Amino acid sequence: MSLEFLNAFKFMRKKSFLHELDPRAKLVTALIYTISGLLFTDIIPLLLIFLSLIPLVLIGKLMKQWIKSISGLSFLIIFIIILNTYFLSLSFAIAMVLRICIMVSAFSIFFLTVDPNELALSLISMKFPYEIAFSFSLAFRFVPTIAIEAQNIIDAQQSRGYEMQKRGIINQIKNLFPLLIPLIICSIKRAFNVAEALESRAFGSKKERSYYFTIKYSFKDWAFTLYLISYLIILIIVRIQFNLMPEFLMWRLPV
Amino acid sequence: MRKISKELPLILIKEVSYIYPNGTEALRNINLNVYKGEFIGIMGKNGAGKTTLIRTLNGLIRPSNGNVFLDGENISSKSIATLSKDVGIIFQNPMHQLFANSVEEEIKFSFKSLNLNKEEIQSKTIKILKEFNLEKYRNRSPLNLSGGESKKLAVASIICRDPRILVFDEPTMGQDAREIDFFLELIRNERMKGKTIIIVTHNVEFAFEHIPRTILMANGQIIADGPTPQVLNSELLVERTSLVLPQTRQFCMSLEQAGFKRINNVITRRDMAEYLKTILKKKIMNIEEE
Repeated sequence: MSLEFLNAFKFMRKKSFLHELDPRAKLVTALIYTISGLLFTDIIPLLLIFLSLIPLVLIGKLMKQWIKSISGLSFLIIFIIILNTYFLSLSFAIAMVLRICIMVSAFSIFFLTVDPNELALSLISMKFPYEIAFSFSLAFRFVPTIAIEAQNIIDAQQSRGYEMQKRGIINQIKNLFPLLIPLIICSIKRAFNVAEALESRAFGSKKERSYYFTIKYSFKDWAFTLYLISYLIILIIVRIQFNLMPEFLMWRLPV
Repeated sequence: MRKISKELPLILIKEVSYIYPNGTEALRNINLNVYKGEFIGIMGKNGAGKTTLIRTLNGLIRPSNGNVFLDGENISSKSIATLSKDVGIIFQNPMHQLFANSVEEEIKFSFKSLNLNKEEIQSKTIKILKEFNLEKYRNRSPLNLSGGESKKLAVASIICRDPRILVFDEPTMGQDAREIDFFLELIRNERMKGKTIIIVTHNVEFAFEHIPRTILMANGQIIADGPTPQVLNSELLVERTSLVLPQTRQFCMSLEQAGFKRINNVITRRDMAEYLKTILKKKIMNIEEE
């Protein structure tokens, strides 16, 4: 088993329109796409929203990582399809899969294009306390580290005969304990170590602090935000007037 | 020690290369023979490919090119679970594998894939706990053990499966002198049973004193493979791998710089003691003659 797909959430410095946007504009993008995904429960509108993410992925030169993030969801997708088809319908199951793909894609684009340091600055500019903004960006920065640690734990357990693939949902859940417990313990230990290291460097000794970098919401950030807001307004109108919309939008599988 | 069988290599690594998904070329055309009963050290600077190489031995990493053979059999189609019965890798951080409610349960977990009955598991668990002096912690949570004890437990949880090949990743790191002694005793016992031991280490003194054969790695390649004194006394090789010369060699060099003749055949601390004894004897005799 490989946790390579977690790299799909790791910031990569590139030159693209999306990378150059203000982190707050990218946060708005992620939130608007998430809200859009939550507005509908039908396949076609969700599929259209999902497809509307592709131009963003292309602009950001993120196709490879985006495909990885979606393929990393395969286990969850199977789980959603089985449960929803069993209790509701296959159409609803597919719609829910699309919804989860939209949300994961939106945040994958966000994490791939936002530098953790810029994220802290953008949160501070949104009047979040520095401690919270810093903790958030630190958590964000530790995602790849935790992925490496998780892979080491998997390797260590497999070296003593632990088998990843076991039949049956209960067995699969039981099977997670040898991985999750060491991962949680190591993460807590690391959190304590980081806290001590920060305190030894006088973290929080002064209430007012200066910043090496500053961020500015430029014209292109405003333009992009306006575009996104109008996109959301259109979707809300479609949702409210959904019954008046063309019938193909309401298409469902016969079963 | 048991005799090393030189007929058919137990591990045969043939033209193995490995490229990580991010494009890093970790192993480049590695060829290596390891015979049954051998005790080998793998050394080199960080990022040289040492850990990647040992991970190919039990299938944790499948080579991009080349093959690994165990007892003449290609392991490419074998599962990690099957290979872990023959190759036990003990990783650097014991906290990566400890999770059970008690030390006893931790050991029992290692027997799960071996298809043993309850009585066998119980008797083997008690035996291994005794062997590792962990009996008193039997009901304690593994997470409440000291660093040294948790390392011991991690080693015990692999050794209890009785693999033919034991691979240790940095076993001496963070260990005090007593813990290193315990580890050496353990290695001695396992070698008596005919086990093959491979150790990845940066500890030059440890390798120099105890490991007969050393492999040096740099940039994913094996740059030297031979008797440890020969490999580690080479200034050129040691410099290429960011290691340091053994203390005896450094001492010899200091003596040479101070005006002594070129000192050959001084390899171990015992050789050094003998050499100094001879020199001092000569000096005393000269003084007496005067």
